[in-house]
Amino acid sequence: MKNFENLFAAWMVVWAVFFAYEVSIARRLARLRQDIEVLKQQMRER
Amino acid sequence: MKARYASTIFAAGLIFFAGYAALFIAPDEKTMHAIQRIFYFHLPSWIAMFTALAVAFVANVAYLATRRAKWDALGVSASEAAVVCCTIGLATGPLWAKPVWGIWWTWDARLTTTFILWLLYLSYLLLRGLLDDPERKATFSAVFGIFAFLDAPLVYVSNRLWRTQHPQPVIGGGSGSGLDPGMGRVLLFCVIALMGVMIIILLDRYKLEKLRQEFEELRLEYETLNLESASTGKERP
Amino acid sequence: MGTSRATAVLLAKELRLEFRTRELLSATIVFALVVVVLFSFAFDPTAAESRRYGPGLLWISFLFASSLMLNPSFARERLNDTIDALRMSPISPFAILSAKMLANFIFMSVVEVVLVPVFSVLYDVSLAGVAGRLILVLALGTVGLTVTGTVFSAISSHARLRELLLPLLLLPILTPLLIAAVEATASLLVEDPVLDRTWLALLAGFDIVFLTASWLLCDYLMEE
Repeated sequence: MKNFENLFAAWMVVWAVFFAYEVSIARRLARLRQDIEVLKQQMRER
Repeated sequence: MKARYASTIFAAGLIFFAGYAALFIAPDEKTMHAIQRIFYFHLPSWIAMFTALAVAFVANVAYLATRRAKWDALGVSASEAAVVCCTIGLATGPLWAKPVWGIWWTWDARLTTTFILWLLYLSYLLLRGLLDDPERKATFSAVFGIFAFLDAPLVYVSNRLWRTQHPQPVIGGGSGSGLDPGMGRVLLFCVIALMGVMIIILLDRYKLEKLRQEFEELRLEYETLNLESASTGKERP
Repeated sequence: MGTSRATAVLLAKELRLEFRTRELLSATIVFALVVVVLFSFAFDPTAAESRRYGPGLLWISFLFASSLMLNPSFARERLNDTIDALRMSPISPFAILSAKMLANFIFMSVVEVVLVPVFSVLYDVSLAGVAGRLILVLALGTVGLTVTGTVFSAISSHARLRELLLPLLLLPILTPLLIAAVEATASLLVEDPVLDRTWLALLAGFDIVFLTASWLLCDYLMEE
């Protein structure tokens, strides 16, 4: 197949962009959950 | 734990199968052969992007009308999803243009419109980042989001008109120029697949935003408690 | 107080304020001239090319100038908290916004009135016979520019990095206006000037869409 590299690269781009975005969400989610736990702990201590 | 990643895995599966269909199942195209298959990623990303933008618009209007936080969450989630789809469209466009036209970029109407919309919605996200007060952030970004959405058709029309005066190579050879049924089926599958991916990332972002709103409420409650006990000088029981 | 009367009063205030010192106007005019001169270093303005690049350069210098000129409008108010005074008065939000839009339109027009003749001299472009139509194009373009610019300066006045944020928000939105204005102006600066109606219609359409949107959304813009 001619130009297969570009085509494959396009497929990988879709995958990479999707994956990068999901990872960023997952990380922010984890950090937020942690912050909530810390806050809840602080509130319980009062 | 597993359920949290189920949707991500499903989306990954969609991308895999869409790519597989595009690369190996779709029939060969007469003039451009293999490289034409990028079309199966490029066009669906556009359709997914416009759907996300429409959802964002509805969410923005709904927020201004009702002031319910969930609409703000939906607005930012849909706008980010649109930016993601836009990025895919902008990245796949040049990958197509280079082998076919020998140039990385062409100022054809669709690609230019996509670029401007990308910048527009990036500005939306930057605006949100630079506004601190949550209520103001939601209100002003909703207003800007509405303006941006109203601008989108004007951007497209102006670029289209401009292109007829200054002809540029067209990415995609005109909408669906003589699509044979085999291509049509793969295209439909890819559109559905990418829409599915867009919806999944939208929902994930929505979940994040709702949690963030919950955190803000909790923090407000905590600070109110602090203020109360500071003013009364007593610990709350 | 009725909306139009309120707008007139506020507009008079804005104009009085500016014409007392004229500092914003003079700074903006000088800046626009600087942009025009800078472009002449970047692109050699021989007669044929200046006709081709001229309109684009003119409108880009207006866009850049407006990005700097529009911010002080609301920033000044926030500095002295006069915006709160306005908000608490029984004046409709739309009156406040329109007064600012009209004031900005007038200021921008002053800048253009100075700049267009200078441009025609520096780039050796003849304006004879097209002045009326050129004014129409300039007016329609400036309306779109100041309407969206005023709305976004209201928004960005609440944000951090507002000097950077305003052009960031404004310039992508204005691309249809830029394209239409440049093409319309270009159609007037050729050998056989014929004002292209499609571009005129696009300019008018842009103005109508965003004027309407501003009117519908003005309450949300002016709130605390």
